[in-house]
Amino acid sequence: MTKDTRNKRIQNRPSGFTNPWFQLGFGVVCVLVYELLQKRGASETANLSQVWSWTGITALVSPLIWLAMALMIVSLLSWLYVLRYIPLSIAFPLSRVVDVLIPLSCWLILGENISSRRWCGIALVVVGLLLTARPVAQLEEKL
Amino acid sequence: MRWPVFFLIPIALTAFVAGQLFLKHAMESSAARGFRDSQVILFLVCGIFAMTIHFFVTLGLLGHLDLSYVYPFQGLSVIIISLAAAVVLKEKLTARLTIGTLLISAGIVLVSMS
Repeated sequence: MTKDTRNKRIQNRPSGFTNPWFQLGFGVVCVLVYELLQKRGASETANLSQVWSWTGITALVSPLIWLAMALMIVSLLSWLYVLRYIPLSIAFPLSRVVDVLIPLSCWLILGENISSRRWCGIALVVVGLLLTARPVAQLEEKL
Repeated sequence: MRWPVFFLIPIALTAFVAGQLFLKHAMESSAARGFRDSQVILFLVCGIFAMTIHFFVTLGLLGHLDLSYVYPFQGLSVIIISLAAAVVLKEKLTARLTIGTLLISAGIVLVSMS
């Protein structure tokens, strides 16, 4: 795809809920929520059966797991929509913001511990995200 | 016991990267050709197939190895996908984007190792 057609695609992008940047954020939130729901659901159902617990099948008893699966499908659809408009080399690194949000939510909501090495990793990802997002912000300003 | 791991981790990574490239290509073509175009459908199917391979190989790896050993390779996928997008899809990779991508990868490796 040439630069012109790509710029045109970005210029003609839909606004509001169908805005691809909004969808990228929406997809990330879906992934974050389904990971947390999966963890909750899996922990709640881990002791239901000695034999089957390691297969993950027992987790299907939990409504949280079904909600997680629905969100998984929503996040996949939203990611496909994002790919239609945003270059992969920008969208994919930005989508990895979940790798920061998941440990932070585990710390805030589930009360899990974060080691100092993990805090360093979180800081590196945040700086990397800011560097990646900056050209996007400039591109948006120009339009 | 160790040797299949050296095969399976690259297979999982390659399948993931290929899957993302197929899906990106399919979605980009769909903007011009619509979803009934046979090439768009073919790329979508290839993308979903590659992601399925990645999913099951990763599940298999997780059965034998710790998450903290398997997950850092997810960090590598950020670099490989950006490079592949530049080479295969001809996306523009600026110096800033490259540094940002490298920092994100390094950060993910640190977060998942500890």
